[in-house]
Amino acid sequence: MISSLHRILIIARNTLTEAVRQKVLNVLLIFGLVLICSSVTVSQLATPDIDAAGLFSEQIKFVKDFGCGAIGLFGFFIALLSTALLIPQELDKRTIYTILAKPVRRAEFLLGKFVGVVLLLALSVALMSLAFAATLYWQESVGLAAVEANYAQMDLKHTPTAQSMHDHDAAQIIKQVRDPQLVEAVLLIFAKIVMTAAIGLLISTFATSWIFTIITTFMIYLIGHGESLARTFWLSHGAETTIWQSGLIGLIALLIPDMNSFTIVDEILAGNRVPWHDVLNLLCYANVYVIVLLAVSVVIFDYREI
Amino acid sequence: METSTVAAPPLAVETIGLTKRYPLTWKRKVLVALDGLNLQVKQGEVFGLLGPNGSGKSTTLKLLLGLIVATEGEARVFGLPPESLEARRRVGFLPENPYFYAFLNGDETLRFYGKLCGVTGDKLDKRIEELIDLVGLQNGRERPLRSYSKGMLQRIGLAQALIHDPDLLFLDEPTAGVDPLGSAQIRDLILKLKKMGKTVVFSSHLLEQVQEVADRVAIFSLGKKVLEGSLESLLTENQSTQVLIPAEMNPEQQERLRKFIGQTGVNESEIRFTRPHLSLEQLYLRTVQAQPDFVSKDSPRP
Repeated sequence: MISSLHRILIIARNTLTEAVRQKVLNVLLIFGLVLICSSVTVSQLATPDIDAAGLFSEQIKFVKDFGCGAIGLFGFFIALLSTALLIPQELDKRTIYTILAKPVRRAEFLLGKFVGVVLLLALSVALMSLAFAATLYWQESVGLAAVEANYAQMDLKHTPTAQSMHDHDAAQIIKQVRDPQLVEAVLLIFAKIVMTAAIGLLISTFATSWIFTIITTFMIYLIGHGESLARTFWLSHGAETTIWQSGLIGLIALLIPDMNSFTIVDEILAGNRVPWHDVLNLLCYANVYVIVLLAVSVVIFDYREI
Repeated sequence: METSTVAAPPLAVETIGLTKRYPLTWKRKVLVALDGLNLQVKQGEVFGLLGPNGSGKSTTLKLLLGLIVATEGEARVFGLPPESLEARRRVGFLPENPYFYAFLNGDETLRFYGKLCGVTGDKLDKRIEELIDLVGLQNGRERPLRSYSKGMLQRIGLAQALIHDPDLLFLDEPTAGVDPLGSAQIRDLILKLKKMGKTVVFSSHLLEQVQEVADRVAIFSLGKKVLEGSLESLLTENQSTQVLIPAEMNPEQQERLRKFIGQTGVNESEIRFTRPHLSLEQLYLRTVQAQPDFVSKDSPRP
């Protein structure tokens, strides 16, 4: 058991090293980082007509939306590319033969590869989150400086009303930036891209080309976003649908993960409170789905002729 | 009186009716990659697999490594199923035209494969030193594999195959694309491994080289083993007797000898004075081309 885990970790580490030394993924990550950092400038351009009181609130919201969007988007691309190339590249270069000819089980090889991708995604999300946090902190400093400057220009700045307005504005900015719920948002984005990676891995265990893997994974990702709509339609018009329609929707609901439930992140970014247990429920859902996808991948890969 | 029986060591490789068929769904045909192979390789032997492209050599090696599953028949490596971890701990493999991970350097490559085989710490450091010396890759330790020449890749491939000190080595075209010098080095290495008591099963197109290192060979054609035996027995022509006279003979001497042999009852007119030498290459071509359905191209067969 320990040696099995050891072999999985050796392959995971090698996969991570390979990804880190690959230019394509590095370029993607750098783009993501640059985009997140540039969100401050973009936010200023996007909110020119808002009055002073709401300006920073809007700009911070913009940076949060932009930052989380960039983490999700670039995380998705990195997950898609890294898993799509995972098995075909090994087969093309015949490196898989040298590994599977060693005392390594196929399941260990596959899980090692997946753990490597998850580590890569964790590293990418961590780096982008750091850039996101730094950008928000910068936005907070700019906002607080502007509030201070605004206060200094006031004629009646020592009046309780002015002081109260100043404190309120400053507190609003700090509250918006240092929102602990952002941790929940990042965790949910991470879970979603890990699910995408698991789907990609499953496809790549039987696909013969990486392009097929990318297209199919992308399609499943899209269907996953529309799945809840189909389910809602089915539940509300259950009696009107034929057995084939309900069967198809049921099958889709069973096979394809419900990606739309992760839009809960939008609620967090809108400033609405999302309880931790809702987040934990979603994380558990993602976990179960990933485990099922990995189990199916292992079975398929075990039978694959290489 | 107590009698003790010593069990014979298991064969390094044994196959019984080993068959691999690939269904070609779209063409509604079946490709027979390997057809009922019976093979036995003893421990310590150097065994050569010969045959044209697509004759079943690589399929045999893949089946013996448990990389693919046989359609019929059975394969055993040291008496164990090839896909078992116990069997793989005793086996090293060099695939044809190996690439390995281009982003790793020579040292990292050996470290990676060593750890996968459970070799760690000082033992791994020592083993890497030994193998780098053995394959002569001192100048490639710190260089990424993407900058390696074909010969260097082949040598690092051999080193990774040997990292866990296996008892049996499968080498698929170990000298393919390697220059004559590198090729000779690999040949010497195989001989060295033989002296160390290792069993080596390899496929090659370089027949002269096979002749130099193999104890026994099997010739494959169209997925079937068509000939097998020791080089000594295969390369001997049984229908004639060769008398080796270590001297140049002039026509007069030849005539006197012919008459002398004729007195033993041999028809004098059938006695020829030549220097018969059957090369492995001749044997190989003759065997392969003698097959009734031989086609001289690499296209897949129905």
